[in-house]
Amino acid sequence: MGASRNTIYEIAIVSMVTIFSLVSLSAWANETGLPHDMVKITGQEDFVYVWTLGVEGIGDEQDKLVTVGVNPDSSQYGKVVHSVSVGGRNEAHHMGFTFDRRYLWCATLDTSKIFVFDIHSDPARPKLVETISDFVAQSGGVVGPHTIMPMKDRMLITGLSNNRDHGGRSALVEYTADGKYVATYWMPTDDNLQGAAKTGKYADGYSYDIRAMPRMDVMFTSSFTGWSNYMMDFGKMLKDEQAMKRFGNTFVVWSLSERMPRKIFDMPGAPLEIRCAINPAHDYAFTITALTSKIWLVYRDQQGEWQAKDVADIGDPAKVPLPPAFTISSDDRLLWATTFLEGKVRAFDISDPFHPSQVYVKQIGSQVNMVSSSWDSKRLYFTSSILSKWDKKGSDNEQFIKSFEWDGKALKERFVIDFTREKLGRPHEMKFGAYALYKP
Amino acid sequence: MLGRILVLCGIFAILPTLLKGHAANMDITLGPGDNRTGYDSTDFESRSISLLQRTGEAADLLSVLKSPPLGLPAIPVPPDNPVTAEKVQLGRKLFFDRRLSLNETMSCGMCHIPEQGFTNNELATAVGIEGRTVRRNAPTIYNVAYFSNIFHDGRDTRLEYQIWQPMLATNEMANPSIGYVIEKIRRQPDYTGLFEDAFGGRGPGIETIGMAIAAYERTLVSGNSPFDRWYFGKDEAALDDAAKQGFRLFIGKAGCSGCHTIQKKFALFTDDAFHNTGLGWQASVGGDSSEVQVQLAPGIKVSVPRNVINSVGEPPLSDLGRYEVTQVPADRWRYKTPILRNIALTAPYMHNGSFGTLKEVVEFYNRGGVPNPLLDPLIRPLELTDSEIRHIVAFLESLTGDNVKTLVRDAFAAPIGDRR
Repeated sequence: MGASRNTIYEIAIVSMVTIFSLVSLSAWANETGLPHDMVKITGQEDFVYVWTLGVEGIGDEQDKLVTVGVNPDSSQYGKVVHSVSVGGRNEAHHMGFTFDRRYLWCATLDTSKIFVFDIHSDPARPKLVETISDFVAQSGGVVGPHTIMPMKDRMLITGLSNNRDHGGRSALVEYTADGKYVATYWMPTDDNLQGAAKTGKYADGYSYDIRAMPRMDVMFTSSFTGWSNYMMDFGKMLKDEQAMKRFGNTFVVWSLSERMPRKIFDMPGAPLEIRCAINPAHDYAFTITALTSKIWLVYRDQQGEWQAKDVADIGDPAKVPLPPAFTISSDDRLLWATTFLEGKVRAFDISDPFHPSQVYVKQIGSQVNMVSSSWDSKRLYFTSSILSKWDKKGSDNEQFIKSFEWDGKALKERFVIDFTREKLGRPHEMKFGAYALYKP
Repeated sequence: MLGRILVLCGIFAILPTLLKGHAANMDITLGPGDNRTGYDSTDFESRSISLLQRTGEAADLLSVLKSPPLGLPAIPVPPDNPVTAEKVQLGRKLFFDRRLSLNETMSCGMCHIPEQGFTNNELATAVGIEGRTVRRNAPTIYNVAYFSNIFHDGRDTRLEYQIWQPMLATNEMANPSIGYVIEKIRRQPDYTGLFEDAFGGRGPGIETIGMAIAAYERTLVSGNSPFDRWYFGKDEAALDDAAKQGFRLFIGKAGCSGCHTIQKKFALFTDDAFHNTGLGWQASVGGDSSEVQVQLAPGIKVSVPRNVINSVGEPPLSDLGRYEVTQVPADRWRYKTPILRNIALTAPYMHNGSFGTLKEVVEFYNRGGVPNPLLDPLIRPLELTDSEIRHIVAFLESLTGDNVKTLVRDAFAAPIGDRR
């Protein structure tokens, strides 16, 4: 990071309070999965930023951040309005805003680079302002930065793998919001629980998503698999008996302020995304195991102890529908879960978090991965790609972003952009942008 | 105050020694750091080890050149590339340098993982740059010094040349050219002077890069196993009865030594030749089952229809074995006889990693391999009993050299090259 860059960040951080005062906040409504105390888009989002994987033989073959116009009042509605290629195929995956929401960090699972975009100067045209390319060396060998969770002036980043064996043991890595490495926190393992209570049979040291509930000084991490598996051809992996043993089966409860693991739960079958309940009276979070297709509830019991319980199946687990992503509505009443192999989304009524019940299902495409919801839960966006080597092959390899409207009963399609026809690549994670965030 | 400072200075002064001693004395756990043995069962318990424990200490790797371990012959060293400490140290640094691939994610050591038998226990067949499919199982580097047929199909002849294949293969390290690699190394500040010191003033080049890595690989020699101490060292107590019975079966009823040969004064357990066991034939023309058993979690397996697997998988790459080198039809699906030393450390087995355990391997040969028109005549049903299979496995497990932890600890001491 250069000096000029630091200055920009300092201005951004100092002006954070001002931004808070300018954007209307709904106390607990949120866009999908953002930290509860972060500034939100409470009205109509103008853009969806799509972190897109380059594909050999398509367009410029590079990873790129694609801006899609999503405001129905705009002439650019449903169109690609901008695209920034970053160089190389890095296995673009997830993104995270800085806490002030002026910068977007775009992480990659293969080369472990993090591309930092200025999204506030012109929200329609993000500008690549910095590339963190020494993440592995700085972190002491963590490979595959995944979730980027802002914490005021810090960024907590989960890794998925390591530079010793490309397996699943990994760590949390902390950076300052202006891109300086701070610390590495390795996931607890059987030989080094770091004071955490191992409640079951596993302490595998794997990692995937991270979410926090600051009001309870707690954060959660889930577990996936290492580079060798997430980069491997999916069909090849399913046939490889050794590789299929290398998935995470753990969920860790951490002290947020101390960055120390407190409790390790068994969750067989790769618990991936984590979403915390939004209502402050709701002391619970959900996760979903991708391989075993179960919704898990992590909750505080009457004694104030964190517990975990599988509370519902998604589809028929024996048929491996592979649910990789989900979101919950801002009123904590609906959980939307996609199933990659089926290409479907299911809505579960989670009013009673211990007894989710499926209330709706819809076919989205031949394959579907990410789902993002507007803060008012009226608009849902879906993208198709799960990982470059896991996506379906042949004619089932649809690559799209699809926008739907939810009227409380059904999803109605609004627009589709074919990312192959547009010569863009494989669309993965989505984040929302809006002019309103930055207006004086 | 001054006293405190002196005490602190003293502690810092001896800290390297303390740490060095700690590394030397610390036991090394062989195998994947997150051991998944027993994953088939719901009773599975994880045994993950912190990566912070993965520390080591450089060893005197040249000692094996002066005195090869019991059971092994003198290490062949080409006259144009004598092994020196400087070359070995440089070669080791190159071996674990991830920057030596196009996108700086793959080193030799990412597929030949020291604690995993210098292979990869976690994959049947290797995965290369950007996740590209490699057709075959990563072979172990242990004792590779003895062979002139390199790779499963023997397509290369010297370690000095061999390294350029993975360096340039588009599905392994994918460097665009030899010159690209040379210039990249030349630009790295941490390589300044190292080649010149090792090669009498010569810098990085097509020859010196290969020679340095070959020098390191040539030192990864491992013998003096319990079998060696019993068979060559005449120590009756070195081997238990089960392994002794297994050896007698190995050279007798089971006929294993027909290919995994044993000489009078040493044993490499390979004829360095190529044989058709039927596994390659089966993959190419033998047909697939309609369903695949897929492990989802400990003790949880489901049957997945083949068409679902195929919907998310690229078509299997063709693999004709030794034929790809010779173009002789009789060489179709022949693969090199692997050395059996340290075989307990190098699962999964066979050229395509299709067997996870030694028991499965012996059972495969007991069935007579896979019948096909080119099946090697040495492979036939063996009619071994379960007890005899166990004994052969016990014998194979006695072939682990006594210095493997030293070699692994030495590898752990090597810097891992990442972009800074």
